[in-house]
Amino acid sequence: MHWKWCTTPLRLFLLDFTGYILRWDQGIQWALVVGTNLLKTIPFVGEKLHLLVVGGSNPGPGVLIRFYAWHVFLLTLGVLILGICHIFRVRRDGGIATPSSPTQTKTVRITRQELFARESLAMLIAGAGLIFLAVLFPAPLAPPIVQVSAALSEGRAPWFFLWVQQLLKAGNPFLFGVLIPVMVFLAFAAIPFLLPLPAPEEIGHWFPPGGRLAQVLILLLISSILILTFLATFR
Amino acid sequence: MTNISRRDVLHLLSQAALALAGFIGLTGLLRYLAFQSDPGPQTEFDLGPASNYLPGTRTMFPQVPALLIHDENGFRAISLVCTHLGCTVEQKENGFLCPCHGSRYDREGRVLQGPARQSLRSLNVEVTTEGNLRLSLK
Repeated sequence: MHWKWCTTPLRLFLLDFTGYILRWDQGIQWALVVGTNLLKTIPFVGEKLHLLVVGGSNPGPGVLIRFYAWHVFLLTLGVLILGICHIFRVRRDGGIATPSSPTQTKTVRITRQELFARESLAMLIAGAGLIFLAVLFPAPLAPPIVQVSAALSEGRAPWFFLWVQQLLKAGNPFLFGVLIPVMVFLAFAAIPFLLPLPAPEEIGHWFPPGGRLAQVLILLLISSILILTFLATFR
Repeated sequence: MTNISRRDVLHLLSQAALALAGFIGLTGLLRYLAFQSDPGPQTEFDLGPASNYLPGTRTMFPQVPALLIHDENGFRAISLVCTHLGCTVEQKENGFLCPCHGSRYDREGRVLQGPARQSLRSLNVEVTTEGNLRLSLK
């Protein structure tokens, strides 16, 4: 079941994008234009895919309904199903990975009721924190979209898409907007299959030496995203 | 009369319910895939009497979006849609700038700086028999 770990970033990215579009203010206008036009650059299927996503030749109010459906229904359903699978596997495979018994010093476990109480408390605190932050810092909504092609000088992507924007500045939109991200994604999805799995005595330890190559690769990915974000912010 | 057990009936019913749910879901999916949108956006624009646009002027039409140029060679128009990924370019004193990825074009719409590779599209402008200007995107 280790193919599923890689769907999490993909789902987060799609939920991010569809959710961002739902603001339907002038801030998202170029993200919508660029994101949907990127689909068109894919050879053979691009035009069809664009029509499927946009529901017309140009993004308009119809695309809002489609993104809404994807965001609140289909993608959320996917998240739910994979989430249930995930929790099921965790239970089935004997809980969260722990160090093997000779190296494990703590043998006392909390009860299930205690765990439930603690997790509920954590959830409540996190929820209250988010509500507090949302009240304190209202979402910066721009004026609503009038026409999707209307000229707007503000072209900066939101902070979580700055790295995508910087990547697209590099040149050919298909190469930098589709092919390279997909190849990188596939390469990372293949890590558990191609690289050796941690040895039994390494399970349950942070950053075991047996997984160095995978750790370095992940570090490279994170730092390239950070560098791209940095470049887009300060140039 | 043949004997059907309660288990068989429930089994059959659950299968039927599943089939029905699948069918309804599939219908929705097919309708979604077969969706035909309204006729595409406007491709012809009536810009009014040609005499309104004096020689030597450059007029913006944000609703197209396009720039109409009237010079010694007559009327022509360039699209203001960036050829990289479709954002609308801004007019600057010596050309155009795309707000999305920083492509630059000169006053005639030729690429000065990437990521765009192609010049801004030139559009057709005609003077109709009534003396009106007609701009077409095709």
